[in-house]
Amino acid sequence: MRRIRRWVPLQRLREFSLVIILIIVVFIFGNQIDNYYTPRTFNRISSTVALITLVAVGQTMVVLTRNVDLSVGSVVGFTAYYVGRYVSKNEDIAPLMLAALAMGIGAGMGLINGLLVAYGRIPAIVVTLGTMAIYRGALVEYSDSKSVATRQLPDWIKELPQESILKFGEYELRALPAIALVAVIVFFFLLLYSSFGRRLYAIGSSPEAANLAGIRAPRMVTLAFTMCGAMAGLGGMLYLARFGTITVDAARGMELQVVAAVVVGGVNILGGSGTVLGAMLGAILIGTIEQSLIRMNINEFWKDALLGLCIIIAVTVDRILINQLTPWWSRTELQRMPEEPHAAV
Amino acid sequence: MRKLQLLLVALVLLTLTGGLVRAQDPEPIKAEPGVELNMVLLPKTLGNAVFDEAHEGAIEAHEELENPGELIFNAPTPDNAIPGQIEIIEASITQEVDAIMISANDYEQLLPSTTKAMEDDITVVTWDSPVSPEGEDLFIAQVDFTEVGSVMANMALSILGEDGGQFAILSATPDASNQNAWIEAMQTLLEEDEQYANLELVDIVYGNDDPDDSYNEALGLVDSYPDLELIMAPTTVGIAAAAKAMQDEELCGEVAVSGLGLPSEMQEFVENGCSQEFALWSFKDLGYLTYYVSYLLASGAMEAEEGVVFEAGRMGTYTIEADPNREDGLRVLMGPFSVYNADNLEEWAAGGDEEGEPEVEATEEAN
Repeated sequence: MRRIRRWVPLQRLREFSLVIILIIVVFIFGNQIDNYYTPRTFNRISSTVALITLVAVGQTMVVLTRNVDLSVGSVVGFTAYYVGRYVSKNEDIAPLMLAALAMGIGAGMGLINGLLVAYGRIPAIVVTLGTMAIYRGALVEYSDSKSVATRQLPDWIKELPQESILKFGEYELRALPAIALVAVIVFFFLLLYSSFGRRLYAIGSSPEAANLAGIRAPRMVTLAFTMCGAMAGLGGMLYLARFGTITVDAARGMELQVVAAVVVGGVNILGGSGTVLGAMLGAILIGTIEQSLIRMNINEFWKDALLGLCIIIAVTVDRILINQLTPWWSRTELQRMPEEPHAAV
Repeated sequence: MRKLQLLLVALVLLTLTGGLVRAQDPEPIKAEPGVELNMVLLPKTLGNAVFDEAHEGAIEAHEELENPGELIFNAPTPDNAIPGQIEIIEASITQEVDAIMISANDYEQLLPSTTKAMEDDITVVTWDSPVSPEGEDLFIAQVDFTEVGSVMANMALSILGEDGGQFAILSATPDASNQNAWIEAMQTLLEEDEQYANLELVDIVYGNDDPDDSYNEALGLVDSYPDLELIMAPTTVGIAAAAKAMQDEELCGEVAVSGLGLPSEMQEFVENGCSQEFALWSFKDLGYLTYYVSYLLASGAMEAEEGVVFEAGRMGTYTIEADPNREDGLRVLMGPFSVYNADNLEEWAAGGDEEGEPEVEATEEAN
């Protein structure tokens, strides 16, 4: 038992409690809705969650450094549109090149955010509120308010959402969730065990200490924003694949879903703690509640309010579970458990 | 000499009857090109392809009438639809424009601003979706609203067949006045007419004219009703999103998608069998006609009164009539409906891309 405790840090416990809540939520909806436990429900929720997760992975890095990026929805919308236009004119571009293009555009937009926040010393919420509107405006201008239609796209991109990587009976792991899953795994280890990742945690935990330790915070913050932009760019390409029709309004409001997923997933909005695994679980929890509410016979005007209520209840239960479990978990330890392996500085 | 007399009598008669004919069927009012008018085209929201087409039509009329003034295209974002429209109307009043052409997001809530605009001698013409009659000069109706109901009911019947089956409606927003009127017309028809007796409407859901929401609502319908055979979407955003959702879930043979769709967005889904049939009117023509009417009214060439006959460029002659669906309302009825399926869609596609290379259009005009 003690050994398990030593190997499983507190953060895993938090993620464990999210999994429990997820199971409870699924059970409740399963009781209320006919034909709930079907492969299609699973496939549908997993595809929706994949997009949010991918962007939430980038957002996690930014939030770890005590910042927030509200422009991700606009970045997703812009890249979805730009890539859609581009691929309709250059049909034979290789999928990986297209992904690189999408990530490049996103990274460029993220870089602007990062430079303004890190070197301009403007609060991130102000910078990204501004760029959220600017990037959206750029999209309206660039598009001439025309939309990208499905038929202009090459077949491979239209069929991407149906592609299944793994099959368990009728339950499929499709391309979009698979890409998101790979991103989560890569960034999970990158953030926890690489020096880049540890520096992000250090900056968020204590900027002064990080500074004394010789970490160049502005450079790291810029890098975090740039990577967040790149992930949003990739998200934009997948958004294009999933919905086909892209208007100037694509992915509007997505930033709120993403920030909600990150916060519900236990990433501290004040920086310094949390993991991409948590962010993914947060995205799954919100996605499941949202998609399941569609199936319930509820007045249209109440759905958003109910979604908000469900999220608050879920987070409250999560806090209670954590508070109950923490003392029991670290009972035999001397004083406290380190939240994560210590920042390797 | 006698011949000459006969000719003279004939001539007199001809002039007389000519005068009579004129009295019965007045010469349509024609627009005088070149009047400087600043006009605002205000559709429901940004990012909806049909409104871009209406914009194209308005630009065509703007150029044809050689209006040296400005044609301003402005619309709110979907999350700010009603307040956004009010703001744009208020701003237009301040800018002292000559005409505002609105596709209204709400029947009542825009009234204070549109009435204010009319008091300031601004011509207010609604199109696509009207406001209450006291807040507008007149309404350009794309088609008769009850006709939309019967066109949808007929498409449902032809897809589901005599034996009928379950179908659901995927609409735009719960408070969209045009969609609600169409759905109501369809429901009345389903209840009253025997031939639709086997069509069972199981649910009405709302995708808020957002591709993302509409996509998920469509899949939600399929999950909730395992016997569902048809999704009827009276909105171009909804129908395309529903068709894409059925395609992604490989449900195209099982659940049909129909409703009001843009040929350019739906062509692909008709080809792969996800949608057999859908209908729409031309939004480009709607924009063109709206511009013409607004120009005539704002330039003072025409009054908004019942029975007035006017000519709208390439589209021919129209009459202002009482709106049977709205008390004290005036309308100009455009029509007609085009029903698209695999047969005529190919023709449509061969006839020219909706992207509309200007050169092609120019030659069409020249002809």
